[in-house]
Amino acid sequence: MQRKENETPQGQAASVLVEFLEVAITAVVFLKGVYPSGAFERRRYMNVVVQRARHPQLRYYIHATVSGLLPFLQKGMVDRVAVVFFNTDNVPLEKFIFKLTVNQSYGSAVEGVDLQISLRSFLAKLSVSESLTKKLPPDCRWEITGNFQLLPETGTSKEANSWIPTGIKQWEQPPFITPIRSMSSDPLCLQFYIEHPSLSESPVL
Amino acid sequence: MDSRLSNSSSSTHHSNSKKRKKNATANNTNQKTLGVAWGSKSLSASSCSSRKSPFSDFSSYMAHKNCKLQNQFDSEASASAARKPIFSGVSIFVDGFTVPSSQELRGYMLKYDGRFENYFSRHCVTHIICSNLPDSKVKNIRAFSAGLPVVKPTWILDSIAANRLLSWVPYQLEQVASNQPKLSAFFTLKSSKMSEDTFTNALCQVEPDVQDSFPRVGQLKERHPSEVGEMVEVCRQISNESNDISSKKTDVFMMEEPIGERVICDEEKLAEANSSETNNERNTEGELDPTYQEPSTSFSIPCSDNQNVHQFPSSEATGSSKQCHSTLTDPNFVENYFKNSRLHFIGTWRQRYRKRFPTLSTGLNNGISNSNKSDIKSVILHVDMDCFFVSVVIRNKPALFDKPVAVCHSNNSKGTSEISSANYPARSYGIRAGMFVRDAKALCPHLVTFPYNFEAYEEVADQFYSILHRHCNKVQAVSCDEAFLDFTDAMVEDPELLASSIRKEIYETTRCTASAGIGGNMLMARIATRTAKPNGQCYITPERVDDHLNQLPVDALPGIGYVLQEKLKKQSVNTCGQLRMISKNSLQKEYGMKTGEMLWNYSRGIDYRSVGIIQECKSIGADVNWGVRFRDMKDCEHFLINLCKEVSLRLQCCGVQGRTFTLKIKKRRKDADEPAKFMGCGDCENLSHSVTIPLATENVEILQRIVKQLLGCFYIDVKEIRGIGLHVSRLENADTSKQGTEKYTLKSWLTSGSASVEKQKYHMGHNKHNSDCANCASSHGCIHSQGSSFQIDNKILNIHVSGDPISTPPPLCQLDVEVIRNLPSEVFSELNEIYGGKLIDFIAKGKGKCESSSSLGNSLEDDAATCKEEDLPYSDPIPLNQIFSENKAMQHERVLGSGHGSCSQVTHNSNIERDDLLPSSLSQIDASVLQQIPEDLKAVILEHLPAHRAQDFCSTPAICPGRINQDSVGVDTSKNCPGTVNHALNDSLWAGNLPSWMDKFKDSSCLRKLGEIYHRSGFNSQLSSVLPQFLSEFHHLDLTQEIYDETVNIMCELLKQYVKVKIERDIEEIYICFRLLKRFAVKSQFFSRVYNDIFPFLQAAVDDNYGGSLFMP
Repeated sequence: MQRKENETPQGQAASVLVEFLEVAITAVVFLKGVYPSGAFERRRYMNVVVQRARHPQLRYYIHATVSGLLPFLQKGMVDRVAVVFFNTDNVPLEKFIFKLTVNQSYGSAVEGVDLQISLRSFLAKLSVSESLTKKLPPDCRWEITGNFQLLPETGTSKEANSWIPTGIKQWEQPPFITPIRSMSSDPLCLQFYIEHPSLSESPVL
Repeated sequence: MDSRLSNSSSSTHHSNSKKRKKNATANNTNQKTLGVAWGSKSLSASSCSSRKSPFSDFSSYMAHKNCKLQNQFDSEASASAARKPIFSGVSIFVDGFTVPSSQELRGYMLKYDGRFENYFSRHCVTHIICSNLPDSKVKNIRAFSAGLPVVKPTWILDSIAANRLLSWVPYQLEQVASNQPKLSAFFTLKSSKMSEDTFTNALCQVEPDVQDSFPRVGQLKERHPSEVGEMVEVCRQISNESNDISSKKTDVFMMEEPIGERVICDEEKLAEANSSETNNERNTEGELDPTYQEPSTSFSIPCSDNQNVHQFPSSEATGSSKQCHSTLTDPNFVENYFKNSRLHFIGTWRQRYRKRFPTLSTGLNNGISNSNKSDIKSVILHVDMDCFFVSVVIRNKPALFDKPVAVCHSNNSKGTSEISSANYPARSYGIRAGMFVRDAKALCPHLVTFPYNFEAYEEVADQFYSILHRHCNKVQAVSCDEAFLDFTDAMVEDPELLASSIRKEIYETTRCTASAGIGGNMLMARIATRTAKPNGQCYITPERVDDHLNQLPVDALPGIGYVLQEKLKKQSVNTCGQLRMISKNSLQKEYGMKTGEMLWNYSRGIDYRSVGIIQECKSIGADVNWGVRFRDMKDCEHFLINLCKEVSLRLQCCGVQGRTFTLKIKKRRKDADEPAKFMGCGDCENLSHSVTIPLATENVEILQRIVKQLLGCFYIDVKEIRGIGLHVSRLENADTSKQGTEKYTLKSWLTSGSASVEKQKYHMGHNKHNSDCANCASSHGCIHSQGSSFQIDNKILNIHVSGDPISTPPPLCQLDVEVIRNLPSEVFSELNEIYGGKLIDFIAKGKGKCESSSSLGNSLEDDAATCKEEDLPYSDPIPLNQIFSENKAMQHERVLGSGHGSCSQVTHNSNIERDDLLPSSLSQIDASVLQQIPEDLKAVILEHLPAHRAQDFCSTPAICPGRINQDSVGVDTSKNCPGTVNHALNDSLWAGNLPSWMDKFKDSSCLRKLGEIYHRSGFNSQLSSVLPQFLSEFHHLDLTQEIYDETVNIMCELLKQYVKVKIERDIEEIYICFRLLKRFAVKSQFFSRVYNDIFPFLQAAVDDNYGGSLFMP
């Protein structure tokens, strides 16, 4: 958690957040049991036990995706980051959503320890949240999506180019929300919740 | 605009393909649990690996694993560039959660040449690192640590920072580190860990006897328990010593022998409980026996069953245990401390004295005027007991009269207990009060020391004073052993004769000697006593004053202490004669008006004080500077609570209340070592902070709150605290201050403008009440001073009400419908009976009317009053509210005529405060001023702001910097959508330091409860943490209380506001609250209505912010 001195508070928060998201997304994927548990190994992050993907491709996917978010996070452009589980028809079944607010006007330095304690509680809560989630069908897939407040202009940067429109369908009805954990500190405010489709459009499992 | 993108940098992963890949490692399914609990998983682990089976069993597996881990560690260590070997030889084992984590610690050990053990082993581990230990491990620390040091992780960090291996001792885990003997070992008689000591087997057996004897001894004398405590303390020190002795290979049998005897003593003691005096003598003789100079003398006195002796061995037993206490572990530390404090005895003595001689001390005042005006030669006698504390103790032991004797807490010759008093033979050896016992013993090896005997002191002091009072009706007590008598009016022929007869009588009654001085005024009498001592008397006639003073050293004058004396010395003034050379003016210039004048007067033997003027104490307080050790804030707060209780008790004893509160703290100096005096405060910085509140109080809760605030001002590490004192000054008489509250309260100031309105309103009831309560008011010393407000003390009223339950009820037309309607059902039915059933009709008639008139926003203050009264029905700490409740109780009385003062719902509607003196706009209020105002006062002011103003005001974030949730501070009122059901409610219920909803709820008893609970939780907790408690308390309310629409509306509004505040930044909190609410809704009709009403709003809010609806299973 050593941060450079010259970074802005937003920059500091964003880089912590990226690190955290990588761990948290891995934790979500582990929690949902998309892969056998042997695909993960126990590691320690922020002094709590977490899982890390053993397969390099999986690890790389998660790592690269959240790293790609970094510049947008710093600018406060990312509204939410979601881990979407969907079936073969591209109909989402369950979304794990990180709703982010990075206070752009926050000026003072980030309290690394406080942030760490808050984020740690997310991981702790997530690990016991399995009962809140739904069982997934055997052949589901998942991806990471980011909801941006503005479409990043393609061609402006390497990171912007790496983002493509998602092929996942949208729900017709507003979903059900099950909050898992909230954190509201400066400059970072983070809501973590699960979305499930409303009962009317229960997808064919 | 929402754009949904997915990362193209990687293909989405298909779980099936993944599964196939990972099938190869199916073996690893156990992996998750493997590291978690080795013990329980050992079977699966070994079965797992049994295929290869390099290990025959678990232990060989572990041995192999440890070996492998060590090799890993070694290779890693050799890989990392060798730095300074700070931790060479150190091998740590990390237990549980630590900051930094065990892995980081491991990293440090790698880097700095230490070792890191994954599994605990007595043989390789040198230090155990942990931040916290469960109680079970603390209790059985040896089993857990195997005697190894248990150290906090900061030790490692600090060592690295210092670049050398620091001593681990200061970093020892507090839970374990009680290596310093602590006070309460003396107070508590527990001695559990006896078995540790090698030579105490015999003692162990004896121990129960000793403990048994304590209660019995306690029966013998009332005060004995405290003495026991004290002696145990004394003994505790001895025990230290006895350890020393045994280590010096002193004959162990010598120790054991007396033990056996002690058991006998126990029995004897019981048999001859009353003959302790003779036993005392025997004991002291034994102590004087020169062959027993060692501190353990008392052990080897055969058959002496004196208390002291009797206790000493027990101390030995307790002492051998490793139990160490102080403020840390003794819950009643403060109480015990003062029970054993000599200064406290002297300090509180006056209290007792006044109670014992009440008429006498008041009778004095009549005479004062006489003595002042009279020109006749006044005769003042000053009587002072000779070394009171010693002579009382030895008064029954004539053998000791000419031996050096001292009184102190400890009898340990190496002890650091201070001599509190020494008799004249002892003084001739140079022994002075305040000296350590060990120094005193060095000066005079055969010094006999005694513990205090407070009971005897009290007895003798009483005898002393009854003699004095018999001889003279003008007695001014200075201390328990010192008094002035004024014989001016008595026209005594020969003062010297009188003095000698008094002294003789004192000696015959108490067997203690007293000295007397006679002079023309108090100063001279006192100076005369100085010459007279010991056991003599001296008369300084006015003619001899000058002679006498001329050579008198200045420090003999009262009021000249060390500092002043030093200053005078610099001016080369050593005697009063030299002092007289200096003019009054220059003295006053140098030392200030008062001191200067005093010096000038005293040096001439002039003293205008007259006997009998008892100086009212200017401050009351309590200090504890011994045995104060805190582990953490909680200890400290616990201690302060007790200290507050003590101070509050003292205030109540004196019948005064104070306005200024000073917290004094002795903080260990940075470089100070452990104090020389056992458990003393050592070298300390003295810090103090004080606060003055507008209204005097003695209420313990207010005290506690103030003290907590004050402590916060110090920014001090509680571990550094070595002493704490709390003093209350600006004292006011409790009775008068109650009367006087009216004058000083904000309320009266605010309402003065509207007094006439109020007057009209209350006119009828007031007059009536005057006659009703006339006798009670006068008998309790309460008065009506202003027509506009009632000054009957709440307390008294309640007494009156309960004592006289049925007074004539007021006519029906005077009743307030609103009040009646809100009464609890049982009160209502009772009342209805009184009115012969007419009340129901009355309510029905009035209902329409009252409903229209009871707008929600009105009568904030009254609601506050209701609430406050409910809070603290008999002792309201907040004066404003007290008046409210007085008013209310008054009205209540008028309406009800029967006493259920504390549970009634009275809302006399008034708009009094609307046309008050408060500024009409926020701009006229200085927010910074408001911030400085004490909490309760602020609340009152806010209450008095009309709703619209309060809103402006509350939403100013500056009012409450950082006290409440940041979220609620930042509420932007403009954001809140208008058009909700209740427009009367403003839109910022959750804003402000004291959320404004607290006020709104006070007209509804059930919701008021919520406010109270929220209040208790300290305003800063989230609603979700308050709700469950509320529900449990709400349950019975729900049954008795009818549910009104307003109540539901207010609750809904409150929740809506909360949703608005929280939805954006803390959806989890909202979720928890509504899950709770839903759960309550099943049980309670009220909550089910609330829940149903608010649910659509909630979902709309969630939809706005998150594009979905909250899932409520």
